[in-house]
Amino acid sequence: MSEVKISAEPRTVFGKGGARRTRRAGLVPAVVYGHGEAPRHIAVPAREFAAAIRHGGINTVFELVSPDGTKTLALPKAIQRDPLKDTFEHIDLVIVKRGEQVTVEVPVHLVGEAAKGTLVMTEHDKIAIAAEALHLPEFLEVSIEGLEAGSHVTAGDVKLPRGASLVADAETIVAVVSLAPTAEQLEGETAEAAEEAEEAAAEEPVAVEA
Amino acid sequence: MLMPRKPPNGFRKPHHPDRSGRSKGGNRVVFGEFGIQALEPAYVTNRQIESARIAMTRHIKRGGKVWITVFPDQALTKKPAETRMGSGKGSPEWWVANVKPGRILFEMAFPNEETAREAMRRAIHKLPMKCRIVKREVGES
Repeated sequence: MSEVKISAEPRTVFGKGGARRTRRAGLVPAVVYGHGEAPRHIAVPAREFAAAIRHGGINTVFELVSPDGTKTLALPKAIQRDPLKDTFEHIDLVIVKRGEQVTVEVPVHLVGEAAKGTLVMTEHDKIAIAAEALHLPEFLEVSIEGLEAGSHVTAGDVKLPRGASLVADAETIVAVVSLAPTAEQLEGETAEAAEEAEEAAAEEPVAVEA
Repeated sequence: MLMPRKPPNGFRKPHHPDRSGRSKGGNRVVFGEFGIQALEPAYVTNRQIESARIAMTRHIKRGGKVWITVFPDQALTKKPAETRMGSGKGSPEWWVANVKPGRILFEMAFPNEETAREAMRRAIHKLPMKCRIVKREVGES
């Protein structure tokens, strides 16, 4: 994956008022740090950033171009999103160098279909790997084809691209294949919990009104 | 139906919970694949939660899993009908969950997306506010 060029304006207004003005202007407030450099407060175009993340994934490397022409390679470290509007609120970018090994969390996609009558539940949808900063995979794939109930997929089962190594514990469970609950089990799940609560509530002494 | 074992904080008749603002947490799908997200603030009663759960589970029949990610731990009181004002606060009438915009109320894991969405659409009809169906975003930070 190659880097995406994006303009980075230096930010002069701070705080929630300044950040809101920045967002209204179609920019996302961001901070760039790493490699012993002092943190720089910048603003990046919201639409371009969103498009890059949508097409390249969360581990897209950006080439930040300042108004004075200086270029910096940076990797998103933390992205804050608005849960309702799905817009970006703030981005933390960490400076990377060409050829540098970085540790990132990469999404894991489950491929295929497990055996009939089973339910696949994702335990960890990301795993940490170490790879060269400019060759980070967008996602990793692991097959669950034909897996029977009771089996599971661990981080060690995920095929990594060349040059990447697993940082997460190889025993980390990515997905569990269990027997699909029956209609009775689905009905009974909360009914049991509710009965217990009702019993407990009935035992509770009721205060007498004065 | 869901209700606390004993009144939270030991108070049976609390003030009405604050309805302002947005949900600070619980606004991402973390257990299942799909979720019902509130778009408006509301007090969701334990009856509404149970009704929505039944609507969902009856539609998917089997082969899925449903998580309820809100709990009705707030008591609301009501004075009896045809009662003069005064003489103290009414008695607890409902147990509600104080839901703010952005909150995920239910999550579901089901292999077929179309069926899961239909089940959730039916569940939304049982809830007192506008909601939307959201899908888990893999690897979202």
